[in-house]
Amino acid sequence: MKGFKPSAPILLLLPAFVVLAAVVLVPLLLSLYSSFTPFRLTRPETFFVLIGFRNYISILSNPDFWWAFGRTVLLLTIALNLEMLLGLGLAMLVEKATRGQRILRTLMMFPMMFSPILVGFQFKFMFNDNIGLVNNALQSLGITQDAIPWLIESHLAFTAITIAEVWSSTSIFAILILAGLLAMPKEPIEAARVDGCTPWQTFRYVTWPFVMPFAYIAMTIRSLDVARAYDIVKIMTDGGPAGRTELLWTLVGRTAYSDARMGLANAMAYFSILLSIAFTVYFYNKLAAARAQIGAEW
Amino acid sequence: MATVSLKRLTKRYGNMEIVHGIDLDIADREFIALVGPSGCGKSTTLRMIAGLEDISGGNIDIGGRVVNDLPPRSRNISMVFQSYALYPHMTVRENLGFSLKIAGAAKDDMDRRVAEASAILGLDELLERRPSQLSGGQRQRVAMGRAIVRDPDVFLFDEPLSNLDAKLRTQMRTEIKKLHAKVKSTVIYVTHDQVEAMTLADRIVIMRSGYIEQVGTPDEVFSRPATRFVAGFIGSPPMNLHEATVSDGRLVFSRGDSLPLPGQFKSKTAAGDKVVFGIRPDDFYPTGHGLSSGGETEVHRLDLPVSITEPLGNETLVFAEFNGADWVSRMLNPKPLKAGDRIGMSFDLSRAHLFSAETGKSLRN
Repeated sequence: MKGFKPSAPILLLLPAFVVLAAVVLVPLLLSLYSSFTPFRLTRPETFFVLIGFRNYISILSNPDFWWAFGRTVLLLTIALNLEMLLGLGLAMLVEKATRGQRILRTLMMFPMMFSPILVGFQFKFMFNDNIGLVNNALQSLGITQDAIPWLIESHLAFTAITIAEVWSSTSIFAILILAGLLAMPKEPIEAARVDGCTPWQTFRYVTWPFVMPFAYIAMTIRSLDVARAYDIVKIMTDGGPAGRTELLWTLVGRTAYSDARMGLANAMAYFSILLSIAFTVYFYNKLAAARAQIGAEW
Repeated sequence: MATVSLKRLTKRYGNMEIVHGIDLDIADREFIALVGPSGCGKSTTLRMIAGLEDISGGNIDIGGRVVNDLPPRSRNISMVFQSYALYPHMTVRENLGFSLKIAGAAKDDMDRRVAEASAILGLDELLERRPSQLSGGQRQRVAMGRAIVRDPDVFLFDEPLSNLDAKLRTQMRTEIKKLHAKVKSTVIYVTHDQVEAMTLADRIVIMRSGYIEQVGTPDEVFSRPATRFVAGFIGSPPMNLHEATVSDGRLVFSRGDSLPLPGQFKSKTAAGDKVVFGIRPDDFYPTGHGLSSGGETEVHRLDLPVSITEPLGNETLVFAEFNGADWVSRMLNPKPLKAGDRIGMSFDLSRAHLFSAETGKSLRN
């Protein structure tokens, strides 16, 4: 090896580069490539047949795909807004607590400590129409005599999934907004009180603008989370009944592994990532605007 | 505009009493300074008047109305905070107009009042900027502007200048004085800086550990301090205060050095009394180089060794050794001196102070 002497930094970084290339770059390129082939897991030779954009055309003209796409956006909108409101409420209550705030903060993070798969199982049990906690409670309280088919009727199933999603992730909003509230200087709030603000006006004009960037950070994180929602849905309804709760990634998973149509699934996946990128860009812009507005120095 | 009256005003946190039932009457349009060392309860008192702290006992009366249980927004007060407390997400214009907007003022009325305040404080160039784009002094002016647009009954200032550098502080002090002359309103001004209190206030309230030590005009608290604490707190450089015992018409200090007992205190002390003797640097001066008016009736002269001098340009502080301690003096026509030089010093005893060593109260009255 005369004449080729790479410098020490390059040599030291090389192993990391090799590993990264092997586990990230190559699979990424391969999957992108396969989205232009009719690749089926059961027929390996199809991996080498190029069909151009036919996969993309076929998914874009497939109503099932668009339904899944729309449902994902709907879930994202509803879940994020609910989580935002509940998280804000929780954070403001915890901030008011003068004693035991640490323990409350820890308790608040409990839902985040459970695997989404387990959350799925838990809610699947709770919403079971025969033995579930929810129906049991509703019937015991005399609110209804019927066994409500929570996971069987399509709208109710979607509601149940939303509730599970909100339960497990509201704490992300709560924690981030609480961080904002705790970091906020108290004098502007006092100034607002002296300036004639009612508690609501103080919140509306002073507290909220300050906390907004923190809420947008949570929004960004959660939009990525929900856009790739898979586990809770997979366990609770598996996209059912009759595909009525199918989301983007459950559809991708089904196409890839149940139907073994890997090329098509990869095309869907790449298209779905556009959704995530769009939301990230949107919330980042909002975040930047909100930060500029409060003159944040971070 | 309004009077403010505090009656037996008390603040407790749990079992700790911070403000011990203070009484204070403030006249309409009066500029009152609450001054004292940190932890003396002056800011707490101000915040109770503002309604930002609950009161634990007593009464607060603004303009003839007991406001104890009213929230801050119903008290018609304005407050300027130490940290300015501007709304960071609003422009200067929005900051100024915020209270009017909340009160539902008409657009043109709001614009007019914001323009007035901005003109008074010279903020016209800055109206579209945000607080983060302003310097400390500019932020301070915006905070004051925000207070004056409301035309409140009472202005409350909570150490408004302590975040500014020394030069800007002097400048803003003048601005506040001009402002008060223009807007003519009742002002309660909290500061730990006795110079600010002296220069700005009609009357000064000196607080210590939750009690009021003395209330008086700047001249009163300077020339006739009611307690040893006030004597030491007001005035810069501070008054020389040293413990002594009355004996045979003389004041004998701890190491045996003595001075004649000033005439005005002769009838007020008895032999053996423990007292604190106080004399301001202006009244203890190098003979021929001080504030002597020529009319002194009771001057006592001594030759004392100089321990150190501090030239300040317009004057020189001379520390002379007497009774084993350094006594500070002012020399107005400086002459070269070095440590160890002996110098003739004059004590103007007619202007000296005597306090009870036990209670700290002045023996003048």
